[in-house]
Amino acid sequence: MRMYYELAKRSFQQQFAYRAATLAGLFTNSVFGVLLSSVYLALFWDQPANASVGGFTAAQTVTYTWIGQALIMPVIFWGWFLITNTIRDGTVVMDMLKPMDFFLYWYSRDLGRGAAQIITRAIPTLTIGSILFDLVWPESWQRWAAFLISVPFAITVSFCLRFMFNLWGFWMLDHRGISSLIIVMTGVFSGHLLPVSWYPPWAQNLINVLPFRSMLMTPVELWLGQVSIAQGLGMQVFWSLVMIGCCYVLLHYAERKVVVQGG
Amino acid sequence: MDRPITFREELRIAGRIASIRLRGQMAYRASFLLQIFSNFLINTAEILALFAMFYRFDTMGGWTLSEVALLHGISMVAFSIGDMLTIGMDNVAPQIRSGEFDRVLTRPLSSWMNAATSEFNLRHLGQLVQGVIILGFALSRVDIAWSIDKALVLALAMISGIALFMALFTVEAIFSFWTVNGVEAINAFTYGGSDLVQFPLHIYGRTLRFLFLYVIPAGFITYYPALYLLDKPDPLGMPDWFVLLGTPITVLFCLVTAWGWNQGIRHYRSTGS
Repeated sequence: MRMYYELAKRSFQQQFAYRAATLAGLFTNSVFGVLLSSVYLALFWDQPANASVGGFTAAQTVTYTWIGQALIMPVIFWGWFLITNTIRDGTVVMDMLKPMDFFLYWYSRDLGRGAAQIITRAIPTLTIGSILFDLVWPESWQRWAAFLISVPFAITVSFCLRFMFNLWGFWMLDHRGISSLIIVMTGVFSGHLLPVSWYPPWAQNLINVLPFRSMLMTPVELWLGQVSIAQGLGMQVFWSLVMIGCCYVLLHYAERKVVVQGG
Repeated sequence: MDRPITFREELRIAGRIASIRLRGQMAYRASFLLQIFSNFLINTAEILALFAMFYRFDTMGGWTLSEVALLHGISMVAFSIGDMLTIGMDNVAPQIRSGEFDRVLTRPLSSWMNAATSEFNLRHLGQLVQGVIILGFALSRVDIAWSIDKALVLALAMISGIALFMALFTVEAIFSFWTVNGVEAINAFTYGGSDLVQFPLHIYGRTLRFLFLYVIPAGFITYYPALYLLDKPDPLGMPDWFVLLGTPITVLFCLVTAWGWNQGIRHYRSTGS
């Protein structure tokens, strides 16, 4: 365990090296935060005051927007090909030969990275959002705690998804098709594109039985009090365990597929 | 070469370079189609979001779905063409870092043309197709009393839009002549700008409006032309002739960009060994 803790710590510290990139990223997240908030608020112009659409008031929608922007970097909703790259250049073999669990090796590093980016990206983004807009805050300290606990689970589900479609590289060398499919699916199903409750009922039914919503929608619902703490965190724990299990099954088959290229 | 080549010759050579690069990609047909398909897919999400929003709401800032779709169409078409023509600009920063930019400078075309044609692909063809579809959808649904000046306004908006996005992608490259850090922040203006002007400008606060009209004139290429086409009064109370400002302001923006590019080239010191 000690080894994985050290790995997580290394990758945590590493994140603080990119100061300019962090500032640039914060700027971009903030611009998009303002842009999306304005767009959502404009949707409510012709609604009666305090109207709630799909369970979201205007202020709650803006809060949802900023949580979404804050979690982009810690949770990662888009392309991530670190493992695919090692499959391509062959270093994956070295990683698999190391005296540690291949899944935990990447997972611990990803948690370290995520923890650092909560500090460097999520907290500053939410602070900027709360200065520029009236955000809705969690109602009680239990809700605060539930949200904070939900973020590592969001990272876990996201990591497992990324891990699995990266392992796809063992079977297919051109990953562009599958990865853009995953990017679109993640955007829509996690609720990053729009609050899930705004979609037509049939789409919601589909999204509610998929793991993606644990990445963003569930943390947002825990924050806003739209789901009970037990149910929200329960779903996330369930999906984390299922996804980790799937990762190991896939890894088992992938290890048999390893072909060392070049020499 | 004894005489400097003319702009026309330069365009012809750039066209040839592009077609050679394209033929190279076509050799890997599956990969080529997959790339276009991927891009198409990713932009589908954007359109999906627009329609899903109007599934729950009737208007956005007082505009209907078809009216907002008109803004989307103009912006997407201009952005995708502008991006395709200046895709090589993405390579400038890595080329400067690796010292390879020297090679770009020694070619017989002008430095900008060389940098722009250092890569050409149809990655954004998918987005162009979607832009055209959504523009068609919008134009078929909104009630426009067509006239010659309206058609002219739309055409000018498209052309200025393409030029503006080409200039914006160039700006990103210009900054990399001075710094390699934090250039990504410009993305907020290129990608952010194209997203922002897909919605009516009056929904934004004063700062964003000012920024995207007078610093980056993206608002002039979608919002004011759309107001004119739809015969809508300007809720911001600007005079009628504002619709005419798009093209001259874009020309000005391009001139400033060209000046910045030349400054960048003069500032460039090779990192080579």
